[in-house]
Amino acid sequence: MRILNYHSLIILLLAISACDREFDDDTPLPDSRAARAEVMVMADGWTPTLPYEVPKPGTYTLPKITSAGGGLVLAENGEVLELESLFGDKIVLLTFIYSSCTDLNGCPLATAVFYKIKERFKKNPNLADAIRLISISFDPEHDTPEVMKLYGAGFEEGDPQWLFLTTASEEALKPVIEQYGQMVIKEFDEEGNYTGAMAHVLRAFLIDRSKNIRQEYSVSFLHDQLVTADIKTLLIEDGVLSANGN
Amino acid sequence: MKKMAKSQAKWMQSTLAFLCVVLASAVGFLSTAMADETCMSPYMAKIVGQEDYVYVWTLGVEGLGDEQDKLVTVSVNPKSENYGKVVNVLSVGGRNEAHHSGLTDDRRYLFAGGLDSNKIFIFDVHTEPAKPKLHKVITDFVEKTGGMVGPHTMYALPGRIMVSALSNNVDHGGRTGMAEFTNEGEFVAAHWNPTDENLRGAIKAGNVADGYGYDVRVLPRRNLMVTSSFTGWSNYMMDFGKMLADPEAMKRFGNTVVVWNLHTRKPKKVLEVPGAPLEIRCAWGSQHNYCFTTTALTSQIWLIYEDDAGEWQAKAVGDIGDPSKVPLPVDISITADDNGLWVQTFMDGKTRFFDISDPFNPKQTYEHVIGSQVNMISQSWDGKRTYFTSSLLGNWDKTGDADEQFFKLFTWDGKQLNHEFTIDFYKLKLGRAHQMRFGAYSLYSQMPNSTDTMLSQVE
Repeated sequence: MRILNYHSLIILLLAISACDREFDDDTPLPDSRAARAEVMVMADGWTPTLPYEVPKPGTYTLPKITSAGGGLVLAENGEVLELESLFGDKIVLLTFIYSSCTDLNGCPLATAVFYKIKERFKKNPNLADAIRLISISFDPEHDTPEVMKLYGAGFEEGDPQWLFLTTASEEALKPVIEQYGQMVIKEFDEEGNYTGAMAHVLRAFLIDRSKNIRQEYSVSFLHDQLVTADIKTLLIEDGVLSANGN
Repeated sequence: MKKMAKSQAKWMQSTLAFLCVVLASAVGFLSTAMADETCMSPYMAKIVGQEDYVYVWTLGVEGLGDEQDKLVTVSVNPKSENYGKVVNVLSVGGRNEAHHSGLTDDRRYLFAGGLDSNKIFIFDVHTEPAKPKLHKVITDFVEKTGGMVGPHTMYALPGRIMVSALSNNVDHGGRTGMAEFTNEGEFVAAHWNPTDENLRGAIKAGNVADGYGYDVRVLPRRNLMVTSSFTGWSNYMMDFGKMLADPEAMKRFGNTVVVWNLHTRKPKKVLEVPGAPLEIRCAWGSQHNYCFTTTALTSQIWLIYEDDAGEWQAKAVGDIGDPSKVPLPVDISITADDNGLWVQTFMDGKTRFFDISDPFNPKQTYEHVIGSQVNMISQSWDGKRTYFTSSLLGNWDKTGDADEQFFKLFTWDGKQLNHEFTIDFYKLKLGRAHQMRFGAYSLYSQMPNSTDTMLSQVE
């Protein structure tokens, strides 16, 4: 039931994206966390249509920020794998999610944008093969490999490959999210009891073939047009695409 | 399972068109104005309730206490038994011209700069919010950036900190730029400001591209980064009276604001804003495409705004006090609803509240003397609590009895400020109180504990 609810939210977001012209471009998505947390992790705005010009791929540089982290993760079939080994020789787009997340500005948005990027590159098999998408759960207690398999159903067909991973425990997860600086705030009630809710700042990471993080996206910049321009910038740098982006 | 996946995808596609209409009204209904602790990065987790601590980056003073720069932690939660008390002092060894500080996007680390030593001190404020620890010191800022001097604003970007500089190591004048560091303090990239000789792809709206730097702010939804311009090391380290009497020195102040492409970090347009535009505060409203800045030398409020054609422009929209008396506007703070702007003027020690509901016509509605001198302000999310500190620069602060150094809390009821408490930083032998940043246990899934210790007990 939770997965179905989650898919409903993703559909909601894809719908927002699909009806660009019905919207005022400056209308932000609602933030459902405001009412329930003393500390609020606020999205910095996301609009269905990029409300400014998309930069031309290759006309700007993406500095190497830091090395992309690794750690032990679980594949959908339960197999224990080293995260770094899953990067292969691909340009990787990676994000952290949890399947019961109901915040429109959070995980459902990330998944919706990843879906759109997959659809964009699916049309070009040569480029699609150079890219890999990875979603990792930060709620290992609930998000077992089976849950992640169900969660990823409908998104996995064709290239670019999209992996839905989890970890064996909170202990296994901790070093992974710490390497990426992925903040997760557990919410407590006034008596100090954990409410089961988690606030987090949505982040996605663009990783080059040398396993360096080259871009870190917040909500406002996690947009399929912008991410596509950045991926193409790396593909131009690698010589996979020509300087004019073809 | 595969069948289910395909049917889900099909249903998804057929549902998209239907939801368009429903969502258009739903999003419109639910949209709210976003706000902040008034000057934090929009990328950062926010304290929307009661803050537990204020971290005060403090300049050491020769002959006072341990004479060192220090991070002073003040307990500000009324529920704490140490409310209104200094609960921790962390000296960093020596004096660096401590100035501004800024938290990382995850609020786990506080970066604090030294304008003279060019060091950046990174404090861990999450492990034990009541007792920050020195995590790391960046000592090669000048080398890594290719010659930038005077790390000033520390501004959170996703996983990174943008550090705007004030000067350079060639002539110690105002030409400078910005540099990015990871949240762990590793250098990422340097971005030099556009100059008349090298516009770096930008265009000039006026006659000058001075390349000076000061503050940096962003409006992500407009892909906008904005920088302002102050003066270089040769001026900010000079005695204030001596500088005012030096006509050549007085020529070395910035007169520009630059708008940048935030995503590509490329400068787009150099706007002419005469008189040293300092702090920048961008509006939070979803359709408020503008930022405010104030000019130190000409005492004006300027609006940096996007016009109907999508072009960024600059316009002087109001005076602060009597500009002919040079009240010297310093820190400013926008309210969460974009309707108010606090403006401090250093020389008369006043804070002024402007109604900016019409951003093109700010109107002063209130003023109050905070002390003999005042610089920084930090207000809570709801605007009900406003904190003030006194120091501007080590060599620019007033002298004698007028050199009050304090941390003060006032509550704001919408009509007037009401004094809650004052901490005398000289009496406690701490130094000159400068930049303030908030901390809260709830940021780190922690509950308040009993490890608070008052300064007297620390000593």
